[in-house]
Amino acid sequence: MAETYDFLFKFLVIGSAGTGKSCLLHQFIENKFKQDSNHTIGVEFGSRVVNVGGKTVKLQIWDTAGQERFRSVTRSYYRGAAGALLVYDITSRETYNSLAAWLTDARTLASPNIVVILCGNKKDLEPEREVTFLEASRFAQENELMFLETSALTGENVEEAFLKCARTILNKIDSGELDPERMGSGIQYGDASLRQLRQPRSAQAVAPQPCGC
Amino acid sequence: MPAGPVQAVPPPPPVATEPKQPTEEEASSKEDSTPSKPVVGIIYPPPEVRNIVDKTACFVARAFSLLVISDGSCPLFHRLEEVPLEVLRQRESKWLDMLNNWDKWMAKKHKKIRLRCQKGIPPSLRGRAWQYLSGGKVKLQQNPGKFDELDMSPGDPKWLDVIERDLHRQFPFHEMFVSRGGHGQQDLFRVLKAYTLHRPEEGYCQAQAPIAAVLLMHMPAEQAFWCLVQICEKYLPGYYSEKLEAIQLDGEILFSLLQKVSPVAHKHLSRQKIDPLLYMTEWFMCAFARTLPWSSVLRVWDMFFCEGVKIIFRVGLVLLKHALGSPEKLRACQGQYETIERLRGLSPKVMQEAFLVQEVVELPVTERQIEREHLIQLRRWQETRGEPQCRSPPRLHGAKAILEAEPGPRPALKPSPSIRLSPDAPVPGSQDKPKPPKQVQKEQQKQAKASGQLDQAPAMGQAEAVAAAGDACPPQDLPPKDLAPQDSAHHRSQESLTSQESEDTYL
Repeated sequence: MAETYDFLFKFLVIGSAGTGKSCLLHQFIENKFKQDSNHTIGVEFGSRVVNVGGKTVKLQIWDTAGQERFRSVTRSYYRGAAGALLVYDITSRETYNSLAAWLTDARTLASPNIVVILCGNKKDLEPEREVTFLEASRFAQENELMFLETSALTGENVEEAFLKCARTILNKIDSGELDPERMGSGIQYGDASLRQLRQPRSAQAVAPQPCGC
Repeated sequence: MPAGPVQAVPPPPPVATEPKQPTEEEASSKEDSTPSKPVVGIIYPPPEVRNIVDKTACFVARAFSLLVISDGSCPLFHRLEEVPLEVLRQRESKWLDMLNNWDKWMAKKHKKIRLRCQKGIPPSLRGRAWQYLSGGKVKLQQNPGKFDELDMSPGDPKWLDVIERDLHRQFPFHEMFVSRGGHGQQDLFRVLKAYTLHRPEEGYCQAQAPIAAVLLMHMPAEQAFWCLVQICEKYLPGYYSEKLEAIQLDGEILFSLLQKVSPVAHKHLSRQKIDPLLYMTEWFMCAFARTLPWSSVLRVWDMFFCEGVKIIFRVGLVLLKHALGSPEKLRACQGQYETIERLRGLSPKVMQEAFLVQEVVELPVTERQIEREHLIQLRRWQETRGEPQCRSPPRLHGAKAILEAEPGPRPALKPSPSIRLSPDAPVPGSQDKPKPPKQVQKEQQKQAKASGQLDQAPAMGQAEAVAAAGDACPPQDLPPKDLAPQDSAHHRSQESLTSQESEDTYL
């Protein structure tokens, strides 16, 4: 089960209830649409190793409950996230309207430097669209977010969303804008984890984490 | 008929004296003498629900193992633990006797009830038993027509929108909830909407949906509503309210209790700085309905309804202990993420019905410990975060506590004979006079047989027949003067309290 990777990024998937966060995650991990999904209570997880610009990166994705009242609980999951998918539903203006609040949460609770990509999900439901592409892309620009419209149903732009986010983080590491060594960056070097996985530990079972997240 | 016991029974409060025209209905139900005749306010699931309820255990268990395996997340090769038919029939008749004399059993033989809940409530009676244990039945009696009233009201669109979004996301593999707009989803909508009207300040919390869905698998909407009310207000107060403070507090309590139950697991989790919320939110808020294999869910709920939140804590502690309780187990959980993954992909062995229940029953974590820890954590909360915003009523630890906290006199939960006798009901034949107890009992059985409930299999015993009869006949619309069956119940319960004692050999 030893996986080789250069970096490990912690990702969040956030946004209002019923926007398709878990389905995006499922599509990304399993490459298929989750027909009969439960709504998320608390948090769900998924991970996948991807190749980005010649580097292997393990994405550790935390998928959160969308209902407003879970925010007090989900906040404790935000810490140390390097990237986030901020999801709304293009057929529901309400989910779009709450984006600002989600964004504030992400920047204050995870990290001000968190790399966020805005995802207008349910792109396949064009006839029911309530939020235009233009409007959302303006919002993205104003808030320095990347932006894609996605469909967890067809898979359109799903992989791209995650990869784009990961690529941006890698670029920021290269340019020195992000420092993986810094506590709570949400980034870990893969080799440290590898060492742990390959060498079975002797007496002591637990080692303190190299990174503070 | 002896007059003594009749006088000794306190008159029921006015609420109970207002069933809608009881005498007429009684007359008609008597004439028909078929328990399948729907009567106002009775526990009688519509045929389609009834069908499903009857088959609950196997059906659902199959659906669930499919669900879990096809999901790929956690292959539970889980087999239903079959209770031998003979034992099941025995249990049914014991449960039937308890349900028919509920107040007496609660007052005198509560330990026995607890023991029997631990052994598992027979599937055919589970729905009824949950209503009795939770006090949902009493609530329904005290508030006749209330659910219908809420059901008719439009509801706040803000909640309706969220509820509607969740309807197809509850146990989508279950026969009842599989079709969009099917009766399962409709009932779920009605129950959840009614709750938002019942407690507008709380509204709807997404974690209530799976709870309500499990209830609906066992009882009609009105009954499910009152059981949900009891869970939200008595068993787990504050869990579903605005800030979810109660769940956060219970996370701290759980973690603190873990220190004694499994110091190794506790140390590991605190070293990795894993907030209890990361693993226990769904466990506790859904009472494990989405975590455990189905047969284990039912057994846990049986105990939970009887003993309260202690059971939820114990299940959580058992799971933590077995997932992270030894250095070997921790070797594969070097990081925070790996640890949480381990807790989300629990070993099927640990979650398996018999093993889990045994562990839970034996785990020495008491109500007192939980309450003490609650005080400690509450103080800590106040010191660090100030006063909790949500003032929930104190939580009641199980069926007995709920019963005792019930204010004022209430109509006794009485047996549900097929024929309800009212001295002043103008009914034909000799039935307008109260019958001696034995005759009532016989009549009940005869009627059950006559109703055709017995025709399915020759193996089906008397218990089943009586169960069917009992189900069909609501205790809540017993007219106040209808004391004859009460009297008979008294006698029967005396019998049962002594005679059943020695037979209790199951498990």
